[in-house]
Amino acid sequence: MKPAPFSYVRPASLEEAVRVLAAGGGAARPLAGGQSLVPMLNLRLAPAEQVVDLTRIEALRRVEDRGTSVFYGALTPHAAFEDGKVPDASNGLMRHVAERFAFRAVRNRGTIGGAIALADPAADWLPTVIALGARLHVAGPEGERIIPAEEFVLGPYFTALGEGEILVGVEVPKLAASARWGYSKVTTKVGEYAESMAIAVVDRARRSARIVLGAADGAPIVLADLAARLLDGARPEDLAAAIRAELVASERDFAPAKLVMHTTTIVRAARDAVS
Amino acid sequence: MKVPVSLTVNGERVAAEIEPRTHLGDFLRDHLRLTATHLGCEHGVCGACTVLVNGEPVRACITLAVSIDGAEVKTLEGLQGEALMETLKAAFHEKHGLQCGFCTPGMLISAWDLLKRRRDLDERAVRVAMSGNLCRCTGYQGIVRSIMAAAEKVGAAAPSTIKEPLR
Amino acid sequence: MGIGAPVRRVEDRRFLEGKGQYLADLDIPGTVDLAFLRSPVAHARLKGVEIPEQYRGQVFLARDIDFVKPIVAVGKAPGFKYSEYPPLARDKLRFVGEMVAMCIARGRAAAEDIAQACVLDFEELPAVWDMEVALRDGAPLVHDDWTDNRFVTTEIKAGDLEAVKAAAAVRVEKSLRMGRHVGVSMETRGVLAHYDNRLGELVVWSSTQFPHVIRTVLAQSLGISESALRVVAPDVGGGFGPKNNFQPEELAVAALAMKIGRPVRWIEDRREHFIASPHAREHRYKLVAYADKAGRILGIEAEVMVDAGAYSVWPWTAAMEAGMAAGIMTGPYDIPVYHGRAITVCTNKAPLGPYRGVGRTGACFAIETLIDAVARAVGRDPQEVRIANMVQPSAMPYRSVTGKLYDSGDYPECARRAIAAIEPEKVRARQQRGEPDGRLIGFGVASYTEQSAHGTAEWVARGLPVVFGYEPALARFTPDGKLILFVGIQNHGQGLETTLAQVAHQELGLPVSDVIVRHGDSSTSPYGMGTFASRSMTMAGGAVSRACATLAEKMKRIGAHLLQAPPGEVRLADGKVWFGEQSVGFAEIAEAAYLHPERLPTGEEPALEANAVYEPGRSTGAFSYATHACTVAVDPGTGVVEVLDYVVCHDCGTIVNPMIVEAQVVGGVAQGLGTALYEEIPYDENGQPLASTFLDYRIPGPTEVPDVRVLHMETPSPHTRFGIKGMGEGGAIAPPAAVVNAINDALRPLGAEINVTPVTPERVLEAIAAAGAAR
Repeated sequence: MKPAPFSYVRPASLEEAVRVLAAGGGAARPLAGGQSLVPMLNLRLAPAEQVVDLTRIEALRRVEDRGTSVFYGALTPHAAFEDGKVPDASNGLMRHVAERFAFRAVRNRGTIGGAIALADPAADWLPTVIALGARLHVAGPEGERIIPAEEFVLGPYFTALGEGEILVGVEVPKLAASARWGYSKVTTKVGEYAESMAIAVVDRARRSARIVLGAADGAPIVLADLAARLLDGARPEDLAAAIRAELVASERDFAPAKLVMHTTTIVRAARDAVS
Repeated sequence: MKVPVSLTVNGERVAAEIEPRTHLGDFLRDHLRLTATHLGCEHGVCGACTVLVNGEPVRACITLAVSIDGAEVKTLEGLQGEALMETLKAAFHEKHGLQCGFCTPGMLISAWDLLKRRRDLDERAVRVAMSGNLCRCTGYQGIVRSIMAAAEKVGAAAPSTIKEPLR
Repeated sequence: MGIGAPVRRVEDRRFLEGKGQYLADLDIPGTVDLAFLRSPVAHARLKGVEIPEQYRGQVFLARDIDFVKPIVAVGKAPGFKYSEYPPLARDKLRFVGEMVAMCIARGRAAAEDIAQACVLDFEELPAVWDMEVALRDGAPLVHDDWTDNRFVTTEIKAGDLEAVKAAAAVRVEKSLRMGRHVGVSMETRGVLAHYDNRLGELVVWSSTQFPHVIRTVLAQSLGISESALRVVAPDVGGGFGPKNNFQPEELAVAALAMKIGRPVRWIEDRREHFIASPHAREHRYKLVAYADKAGRILGIEAEVMVDAGAYSVWPWTAAMEAGMAAGIMTGPYDIPVYHGRAITVCTNKAPLGPYRGVGRTGACFAIETLIDAVARAVGRDPQEVRIANMVQPSAMPYRSVTGKLYDSGDYPECARRAIAAIEPEKVRARQQRGEPDGRLIGFGVASYTEQSAHGTAEWVARGLPVVFGYEPALARFTPDGKLILFVGIQNHGQGLETTLAQVAHQELGLPVSDVIVRHGDSSTSPYGMGTFASRSMTMAGGAVSRACATLAEKMKRIGAHLLQAPPGEVRLADGKVWFGEQSVGFAEIAEAAYLHPERLPTGEEPALEANAVYEPGRSTGAFSYATHACTVAVDPGTGVVEVLDYVVCHDCGTIVNPMIVEAQVVGGVAQGLGTALYEEIPYDENGQPLASTFLDYRIPGPTEVPDVRVLHMETPSPHTRFGIKGMGEGGAIAPPAAVVNAINDALRPLGAEINVTPVTPERVLEAIAAAGAAR
């Protein structure tokens, strides 16, 4: 189980990385922590002619408190969130999430940017940053742009990143002290990818609520109808039928058992965010 | 096709020309003949290949050797004689923390890191923290008991613990 | 340090220092790596392999090793269909993962490049992807010259079923399924073959559980003498059954090394292990129990159907799994009438082989869930019904309805202890209260008997090509007074380097640290059968005991002579021969025996070694038994099951090392929990395996296995040395039954029932939904 041959470059700057990736077209693959890419290379499931190692680009490591938000460079490892080594914008949600996926050795090398850019439908950071209303900073041949997190994923392993574009970092607006969050995840085993995962961030004082379902066989689903009902004061426990209807309306074609499971995690996340 | 890589492995500087596709596990085993690092899945799940890179445990099988150029790597061989590791090994022997021995080097490295990092370990915490290391022989009971015994010895166990079963 | 002591393992040191030597750690100069080109399709006619010009000379096909014989394993049951398992496919591809070509290069990565560059030319055929599909009229045939896709059907008819049907107050039916499994030793399989030119022998290193037997079959298949073949199992990183078959990879790699005269090695990667190592389980059951109104079972009708995959494995044959399941179905119960049918089906899947528990894990799942169903049908507590139906201790030795001779034990007491330890009244109180998090609590129980260390009679009855009836040992002192035991078993985690030394201590009184156990090498040990079927402690323990007892007598004779004492008045202890307060050490005795024969008593032969071969007093096996009891919590919102508590009460006769026995039980339970809740390799309609990595085939981790509590009973077997019974497999037998009974207890308020393993969250939610719809 060894990778097919590929060439390797290690750009020192963002500009160089963008140039190399753009020149390589689809056959060049960016490498961050490699915790998803290298297994796929080993299994020969992800053909790559060239691996572009981003890990030496300092600009991708920057972590900044920007007053109303925190900017996390794409190469920030999961363990930095787990260990509380980076400023928190999320009232503890990001740390809570980071403690609960994969395994320590993977969290040491895996990065938030790599995980988001891969867009694995069962992974954790995407629904998290969508729930937090994050802005994704992207650099490419045409310069920098910002993509709202919920617009970033187009489908399983399919993102809005264009050719040569690199995810530079994640800017997470700081939650108000009045904001609460809930998190509910089903895995068959500790550390495995989620079977279902719901994250709710609710700030009734500011009339803001966002509930996101991950592990949804595609892009995470933002439950707008549920958010509105919660802000109107509904109890999540009473909303199972509405949630189910909203999921059915998403046209993801969930199996009946999956629909039950997703409904459960959504109810529980929402309950924890409003209680 | 080949690229240069230079690492400090178990305190020794090594430099080699390797194919970029060479993962750290193969580099350690094939190029340096350090065979304590075992390959159990080569897709980053079983944990048998866990080694320390710059002091932190990583999966050698899903780390390209070239991508950690310049790093300091420690394998089980390099921790021979190290005090905490010897405490762990003694505990694994005393509490029957191994059977076939194949997962053992990865278990020891992950446990070593855990005992370095944490001071609040109870049985549940050990189980959760070790969930990235698979064993097919022991059912984990001997492993968990070994790690708890070592944790108590080095002061990494939660004061309130222990000897309470998971239930 | 003798029998019964929790001696810490002598083999630990090398593993703890990372110095174990597993197959991939061997370093033979000039070795080339081999990657197999394997079939990407389940069923096809193979027309050819296109080899890129630059790789000619590095790719080898069936025709390049046409001197080898195919693997043939035909059972003796009437109608068993003949099949040949070629190491490399010739004209037909029969499962995804079947080997077609060998590609060699310096380094595995380069070998894989070659395999990827080769192009298979084939004509795909409809896949026989499931056993029910296989048995349909007009189903495509896996083997073209067969009349249908059955390897064999066997029947057991014991007692008058019609009379039972007429007399029974209740009739309970059940249909069950158990998923397809993979063994998942942490070390995968592997083979390295090279010539030893000095000795003129082919040396084959293999990660196997039975190197001597492999030498025999490999020599036959290669057409060479066993005297020119050495097979070595180095440190083996777990076996559990899948390494207890003659592997086509062993044959192919050895043949290639013979052909090209270079060292060749193949290390199985994890994906190969999932799709192409011998699979396990995959049972389906149709059961009917007939009982009186108190739940006393009068008779059982059972049909067991097993998907054995495309080929019959050597030496076990395809029929072993279904045959054993049907043969042990009545388990620890005194059931007078039994009609069983075992159907072994051939499909386009990887061949099925032995895996810890062989057959019995399924049979236990069947009978134990059936017992609970009978209890429910008569409105009694399942545990009362369970115990009431058991073979009573006064009935021992007991011949079961299927002809098994249960040698000793107290099955009801064992069940009572396990059940008491799980504290049913507390569980019931908790159920009454309800859980704050809305989960449903239940508890379940399962009992079994484990035929272990079966010898000649059992294997002859099964008609296997090798009758695993005995074990040898050669005990040899070195001139400096240490003891080396050469044995034919293979230690791969069971602690036999320690426990066999304990047996030597028992006979000779020398420290365990002065005993070295050598195994796994056909050139150093006497011919033995290897480690499987819970046999090594009983069999090799018996042989070591005998050889050491012979040596003990000789030590005493020489020691007495050196001490000028009457031979009848000396004793052995602490590595010395004692006469009163006087003693002479083993080193001094060994020195005399080897280097100074002039010091020996007149007529005493020099040297200090003894050979022994051991067969148990009765070769039908010693029967261990156990009851498992567990508590689970089921989340009706997510379908997730958590095992909260798990108790095993077991009796494996005399315990040699309680530390090791307990750990074997717990390790087995962990695997059984995998069967119960997590592990399955499903196939789609094209015969593609849907699990080929640890991401989709999940084995239990530290958080999925509770802190298992093990209670010991010790009823020595009357048939074995020291009364030892085998116990290596037992832990893996009962968990699916116990866990499913517990889940169904938890789900009772919802009217839902689970009849399939693994019990995934989806299956729980589906069962709940089905119950809801039925209301």
